[in-house]
Amino acid sequence: MTTEFSGGPDNSALSELLDRNMPANSEAIATVVDAISETLERLEVPEQKRFEIALAVQEALANAVVHGCGNDPSKQVRCRVKSDPRGRIVIIVTDPGPGFSPAALSDPKRGENLYADHGRGVYLIRQLMDEVQFERNGNEIRMWKY
Amino acid sequence: MGPAVDSLRQTMEEAIGNGDTRMVINLAEVSMIDSSGIGLLVRFLASTKQRGGSIKLTQPSKFAVQTLRLVGVLNLFEIFDNDDAAVESFA
Repeated sequence: MTTEFSGGPDNSALSELLDRNMPANSEAIATVVDAISETLERLEVPEQKRFEIALAVQEALANAVVHGCGNDPSKQVRCRVKSDPRGRIVIIVTDPGPGFSPAALSDPKRGENLYADHGRGVYLIRQLMDEVQFERNGNEIRMWKY
Repeated sequence: MGPAVDSLRQTMEEAIGNGDTRMVINLAEVSMIDSSGIGLLVRFLASTKQRGGSIKLTQPSKFAVQTLRLVGVLNLFEIFDNDDAAVESFA
C-alpha cells in the first residue's frame, strides 16, 4: 500500500531521465509508456518493477487524457521521469484539467463496484507504486517506485 | 486502453449479440492488462453470467494474474492452462 503526503522523498537533487509532452489522445499513451520502459531497461531496472511502473504510468496517462483533458487531442499531457541519488524513481504526470479529489474515489473492491467497468485506475496505481502524491488540486500525480 | 480494448469490446458485444454466453479468452499474448481491460472483462463476465454462461481465462501472464488479484477480481474468473480444458469445463 502507498501513503500520501506533500513533499515526498528526496525531491531535491532529482535527475531528469525523460520529459515528454503528448496530445490527449489514448493512442499516444503507448508511445510514452514504451519510452519509459526503454529508459528503465537501460537503467537495468528489474522486469517486475518495470512492469509495475509501466502499468501505473499507463493508468495515470489514461486518467489524464480522459478525465483531465476530456479526450481533447488539442490539449497536452506532460510526463516526466526522474530519479534520486538512491536510484528511486518518480514519474510525474500533469494535465491541464480542473483536478479532482482522490478522497472522493470509492473502493473498487467493495460490493457492486467489483463488477463495475471503471473506477480501478487510481486504486491500481496505489497498489503498484510505493508512494503516490496528488498535487495541484489533483491534476498532477507523483508516483514513486523505490 | 485503446485499440486492443476496443477490439475486444467489439468482439464480445458481437458474441453476446449472437447469443454466445460461454466464452474462453486466451490471454497468452497479453503481457499487461490495465484497468480498462479489467473493467471490460468483469462487465462481460456479469453479462454472460446473467444469461447462464461465463467467461473463462486461459494462459494469463504472471503479471496479468497479479494485476487481477490486486484489484480483487481474480477469484471471479476460472483460469485454465489451455483452451481445451477451458472449453471442456463448460460441458
